[in-house]
Amino acid sequence: MINYRNIHKAFDQPVLEGIDLRVDAGEMFALFGPSGTGKSVLLKTTLSLIVPDRGDVEVDGISVYHGGPDALERVRRRVGYVFQNAALFDSLNVYENVAMGIPEEELARSAKLDVARRVWSAIEIVNLEPAEVMAKIPVELSGGMRKRVGIARAIVGRPKVLLWDEPTTGLDPVNTAAVERLITRLSEELEVTSLLVTHDVEGGLMMCDRVAMLDGGHLLFCGTPDEFRTSPDPRVRAFVDRAAAEAALDNGTNAA
Amino acid sequence: MKRSTRALPVPSFVVRWLSGFGRASAVTLDHAGALGILSAGIAKAIVQRRVRSKDVLRQMYIMGVQSLPIVFVTASLAGIVTSQQGGYQLSQTSPAYLLGTLVVQSVVLELGPLLTAIVLVGRIGARITAELGTMVVSEQIDAFEALGRDPVAILAAPRVIAGVITMPILVGFADVIGIGAGMVSANLSTGLGTEAFLYGARLFWHSWDLFYGFSKAVVFGLIIPLVSVHMGLRTKGGAAGVGLTTTQAVMFMILALLIIDAMFPPLLLQ
Repeated sequence: MINYRNIHKAFDQPVLEGIDLRVDAGEMFALFGPSGTGKSVLLKTTLSLIVPDRGDVEVDGISVYHGGPDALERVRRRVGYVFQNAALFDSLNVYENVAMGIPEEELARSAKLDVARRVWSAIEIVNLEPAEVMAKIPVELSGGMRKRVGIARAIVGRPKVLLWDEPTTGLDPVNTAAVERLITRLSEELEVTSLLVTHDVEGGLMMCDRVAMLDGGHLLFCGTPDEFRTSPDPRVRAFVDRAAAEAALDNGTNAA
Repeated sequence: MKRSTRALPVPSFVVRWLSGFGRASAVTLDHAGALGILSAGIAKAIVQRRVRSKDVLRQMYIMGVQSLPIVFVTASLAGIVTSQQGGYQLSQTSPAYLLGTLVVQSVVLELGPLLTAIVLVGRIGARITAELGTMVVSEQIDAFEALGRDPVAILAAPRVIAGVITMPILVGFADVIGIGAGMVSANLSTGLGTEAFLYGARLFWHSWDLFYGFSKAVVFGLIIPLVSVHMGLRTKGGAAGVGLTTTQAVMFMILALLIIDAMFPPLLLQ
């Protein structure tokens, strides 16, 4: 479904050095790695939000970088992207923000009532009350609500693929658990392929069918959650142990 | 024959100067190239009719209607100061009605367009850069692209179109206010009557002057939103980056306005 082939990207320093990764149709896939290892960069190359120096990405058989002038447009119509801080448009209210997730040509030929129904339904799916939030602007929403509106905007266009960039970052444990349940439910109900970049290793291991780990610009591991937990690679072990310690610290802090 | 491998004794300040010049040239070319690409994108969006008139009207309201009070104050003061200083200098040597010539020529040719543009740099240019810069660092621009929308057609083109349309209107307003304030001030300070002031104004008046002033207004109206959008879209590095880019944008815009202003007389007043 998503195929990253030999992706290279450098800013001042090399960030990604020859990443090959395949996410199969219908799969839930998590990408782990220490901060600054290029997880979000890899995710952004899927929609050409960051252009790789070398390599190509294929989504649903369409080559993003060698597929001709319309390829990127077709890929973007198939993919919903949930941004780390939701990236809602400040000047638009919740209704307008979510409606932006519907492709332009569909918006142009749809009746206003149909658009309203789709937006209403997407807001309901993410467990928000449409009548209460639709007229609000992003600054009037809590962090958890903003994330949900960002998710509603990503799913309203009926994508085949959902890309999640740190969907639980900055949320308290209650909201983190709620968003994780939402991710699992949406991936099953909408039958989409999900690629998740996350720092929440335990959450990722519980939710996903397969996981991968990036480190030092390379793909260090790719396999099932059980294989990841029992990996003999010392760098994977160190990462898992550190993530477990941080999670314990977070839980202790929150409990206190 | 064996070639010498010894380096020429170049003083270190020359090396520093040359490397600084090289860096500055690279940055200038980078900006020029990016501005060219942005301009082409805006032109393409306009030709393909992908710019919503609602967005243009909204920007015209922000740039035009909301700027009227500050333009009114600036133009009035410019007219008054020109009139006062002109009256002081002309009173001993020239006929008083020449004060009308001085005020009208100064306001129409220079003060109206330039002061209005500088006001708009502060009020609109800084605002556009900060707004778009914040959108960049909060990934809203990425979100536009991920949703298949063109940020140039949605954000850049309406601002540039609004700038080109609004600026001449504001300059026309500033001209009228500036001349009116200068006339009242001349009357109060030197006792110059309205008829004498208008006689002086008409004496050396050319319709070309109005064209000259409005030409400046159109160019300034293009430059301010174009540079501010360009700088905003290049913002990097969070809140500090937004602050830094906004400051740089204001500096570039004022510098660009003054350079272009200096190019106008040899081009259009010969």
